[in-house]
Amino acid sequence: MLLQLRNIFKWVQQGGQRVFLLKDINLEVQEGEFISIMGPSGSGKSTLLNVIGMLDTFDEGEYDFLSESVHTLKEKYRSNLYKEYIGFVFQSYHLLDDLTVEENLEMPLLYKNIKGSERKALVADMLDRFNIVGKKDLFPAQLSGGQQQLVGVARALIGKPKLILADEPTGNLNSQQSEEIMQLFKKLNEEEGVTIIQVTHSEKNAEYGSRIINLLDGRKI
Amino acid sequence: MFKNYLKIAWRNLLKNKGYTIINVGGLALGMAVTLIIGLWIQDELTYNSYFKNKDSIAQVFQSQTFNGETGTGPAIPRPLEKALRDGYSDNFKHLIMCSWTNDHYLKYGDKSISRPGNYMQQAGPELFGLNIIKGEKDGLREINSIMLSQSTADALFGSEDPIGKTVTVSNEHKLNVSAVYSDIPVNNSFNDTEFIIPWEKYLAVNEWIKNAEDSWGNNSFQMFVELADNTTIEQVTDRIKNVKKDLNEDTAQFNPQIFLFPMKDWYLRSSFENGKQEGGRIKYVWLFGIIGAFVLLLACINFMNLSTARSEKRGKEVGIRKSIGSQRGQLIYQFLSESFIVVLFAFIVAILLVLLSLNGFNDLSRKEIVFPWGNGLFWGASLIFILFTALLAGSYPALYLSSFKPVDVLKGTFKTGKYAGLPRKILVVVQFTVSVAFIIGTVIVMQQINFAKNRPVGYDKEGLIQIPTFSQDFNGKYDLMRTEFIGSGAVVEMSTSSSPTTRIWSNRGGFVWDGKPEGFQEDLAWTEVSPEYAKSLNLKIVEGRDFSRDFASDSLGILINETAKKYLGMENPIGQFLRDDDEEDPNPPLKIIGVVQDMITQSPYEPVKQGVYVYDRHDNASYYNMRLNPNESATQNITTIENVFKEHFPDIPFEYDFIDGEYGEKFASEERIGTLSGVFTALAILISCLGLFGLTSFVAEQRKKEIGVRKVLGASIFNVWNMLSKDFLKLVVISCFIAVPIAYFIMNGWLQEYPYRIILKWWIFALAMMGAMLVTIATVSFQAIKAARANPVKSLRTE
Repeated sequence: MLLQLRNIFKWVQQGGQRVFLLKDINLEVQEGEFISIMGPSGSGKSTLLNVIGMLDTFDEGEYDFLSESVHTLKEKYRSNLYKEYIGFVFQSYHLLDDLTVEENLEMPLLYKNIKGSERKALVADMLDRFNIVGKKDLFPAQLSGGQQQLVGVARALIGKPKLILADEPTGNLNSQQSEEIMQLFKKLNEEEGVTIIQVTHSEKNAEYGSRIINLLDGRKI
Repeated sequence: MFKNYLKIAWRNLLKNKGYTIINVGGLALGMAVTLIIGLWIQDELTYNSYFKNKDSIAQVFQSQTFNGETGTGPAIPRPLEKALRDGYSDNFKHLIMCSWTNDHYLKYGDKSISRPGNYMQQAGPELFGLNIIKGEKDGLREINSIMLSQSTADALFGSEDPIGKTVTVSNEHKLNVSAVYSDIPVNNSFNDTEFIIPWEKYLAVNEWIKNAEDSWGNNSFQMFVELADNTTIEQVTDRIKNVKKDLNEDTAQFNPQIFLFPMKDWYLRSSFENGKQEGGRIKYVWLFGIIGAFVLLLACINFMNLSTARSEKRGKEVGIRKSIGSQRGQLIYQFLSESFIVVLFAFIVAILLVLLSLNGFNDLSRKEIVFPWGNGLFWGASLIFILFTALLAGSYPALYLSSFKPVDVLKGTFKTGKYAGLPRKILVVVQFTVSVAFIIGTVIVMQQINFAKNRPVGYDKEGLIQIPTFSQDFNGKYDLMRTEFIGSGAVVEMSTSSSPTTRIWSNRGGFVWDGKPEGFQEDLAWTEVSPEYAKSLNLKIVEGRDFSRDFASDSLGILINETAKKYLGMENPIGQFLRDDDEEDPNPPLKIIGVVQDMITQSPYEPVKQGVYVYDRHDNASYYNMRLNPNESATQNITTIENVFKEHFPDIPFEYDFIDGEYGEKFASEERIGTLSGVFTALAILISCLGLFGLTSFVAEQRKKEIGVRKVLGASIFNVWNMLSKDFLKLVVISCFIAVPIAYFIMNGWLQEYPYRIILKWWIFALAMMGAMLVTIATVSFQAIKAARANPVKSLRTE
């Protein structure tokens, strides 16, 4: 088992009342799964994804990731954990505007303290695999949305994560670009066994996954 | 990793050029000011460090009390030398008598120049550790010898070897050059000493000095000592403090206290208030140090403010980096190294600015500061300075930016809270508080200087020159020369005096007069003048009459000034006598024939001293004072005078000074301080405005959408301008109210040092506040109007 959420609650105080963002979420994810989280706006999809990605905290419940209990870990260990095992893909790509494609890909490796020669090799591999060698010296602003997201996925993959978390990865793309990204996810999941959890609005994209989780008002339905 | 940070930092700088110019430019300006002030302070603190033994050298000082007022100074009587040599010689390695530094004529062949120099006892050159380039180390051994500074030797001898050649001093004494020493640097108390002649010669050629051997009351000499190894200044002072009081009854009533004044204090801590050492120039070192620190602080505040203002843009980067696995420490490290790069870059620009402005600054401050390229200490200090500035300027953005939560910034829901701008506002308030205080301080300093400048001097200083007459050649020739000069048409009236018009060189006491209070210890400024003195200066006679050559008895007459009339307590001074209180061998009594208007001879900030003008019976004055012909040009007059002068004194170099120029010297120090603080204030304001400018542009951008919505709803340009400017103006108003009391307190304290001073008026403060507000409005408006005029459709579409 890759991760397990048990009775997760998350809330904010608003005018003396608790407004629940997540309510009693229980979830088990096995390695190699491809899960789509769906639900209307404000149902807590992204919050759940961020909790899983350890970018956000929760108020109650337990969370085990690779049999480490995340809720008891300190911030520093938590970030070590996710930098080792989790890659993020964002709706608006979130590449660093001041760095070239190549440099953007290299960045996660820097934070993992990987040696220069090895970094070069890994980046070259990734460029090759995604067919973007010719674009390595361009800045994000010089790429189309689909190409940027391709780089975003490549960056998420370069650290060889066990889990990819994608928050509406195709939300800013046209249908053809969406198709390409989803095909890529499917391939990664099937051929390399990378576990993927995506948040999506689109039924069509959700179909790529092996399991769909529906949320409404912070609750699993 | 560091390389990656470098890259990001560099590209960031290039991408936001406007921001970079404001940030780097502001910081560089601040650093340049701090660097220059640092160099200035360094120069001040190393004053006299040319002398290797500076820690063990001291000058012998004396405090005496007249009528309850204690005066302190370096003038000591000759018998003190014998007393110290006889009783205390093991306290000193060396002890030398020394004359004041005076101008003398030096002549070799047909070359004649005027240079300042001293008479010293034999051990002088060794005590001060002069660097002998040529000739004898012990150059004062022979009575008829003279040591020259290198520049003096060059001026007299050119390429000839000066050693052994004969120089004629004061047109009468033939002395052999025994040695040449390196020029003493500018930041040294002996910078003016261009030659040294043996003390014995001084005694041999001046009767009055020889006669002063046993005169404890004639305080006309200087004495320097080098301490013996096993003792300290305090110990020796303790031993010798009562030596004069114990040995001489006559002067004991003035409670003379002898003490050693260490060389390290000569320059910076040379003020004495009622016998106690009370600071001195060191206060300016502190003042400029504080200004420098503040200017740097202002520049750092800009850096912090602009960096945090831009944080929303960098926020995304923080979020991405955190989600990829960066830890907070790494982000802090990244932002600090970025800050370091910017500071380093600014430092390089600052050095360029310093190099460009150093000459101008040297002119302003009368220094000869050179850039210390080869000084390891300087570079070490600079590195610490850079690191410190980087830390100071970068720490707030580093800590602030790195604390962002990735989820918040990435989701785009990140909003700086209601109080997120508060630290920024506080920093702006600090900046403007400092700037407004600077403005007020500068205005008050300038006002005080102008106030003293506009004070009536009591005589007409325009068109008046003085010519020094230090040589025996002038003796007895006054009447002849007066006829010649006036006859030439260039001079309408002339006179002689024993001290320059703008100084008091001599003070006397020991008189008796009718109605003198019991035990009164008088102290009168004493100037010997020719009968035409008042006429040539246009000095008004307020009572009685001027000297007249028609009355032979006037040779024992005196004029007193108005202050002296009050001081002596005379209702009707005319016809009264000042008698010598020496009963055995009295000088003839002096009859007061007139009262003249007070004239400023000392500090223009102090009340005029009580003084008497005595008929010069010996025709042995130090200066000719000449009233130039107002119908001719000054240059024409000077040429005519020079021709007459050369005809009669061919061997003496012709020198003259305009009195108004000499008088202007009295303001030089305050004016320098005023100009410098004016310049620094302007820079401080400029830096603050740069910051404000940058900040407004960010706020305008931040509120772009809001401005767009408001405009769509019907806001006018004025409404938007008003909205954006108001916030900043509020901050500046707060700053004013903090700055005014602080500035009032400090400047009021400063003014207390000047007995003749301005009264602080409310409008000075109002003016400074108005000025600050106007500058703020001007700075803010540029961006505010630009933002207000932008097309709302564009700004709304971007979302």
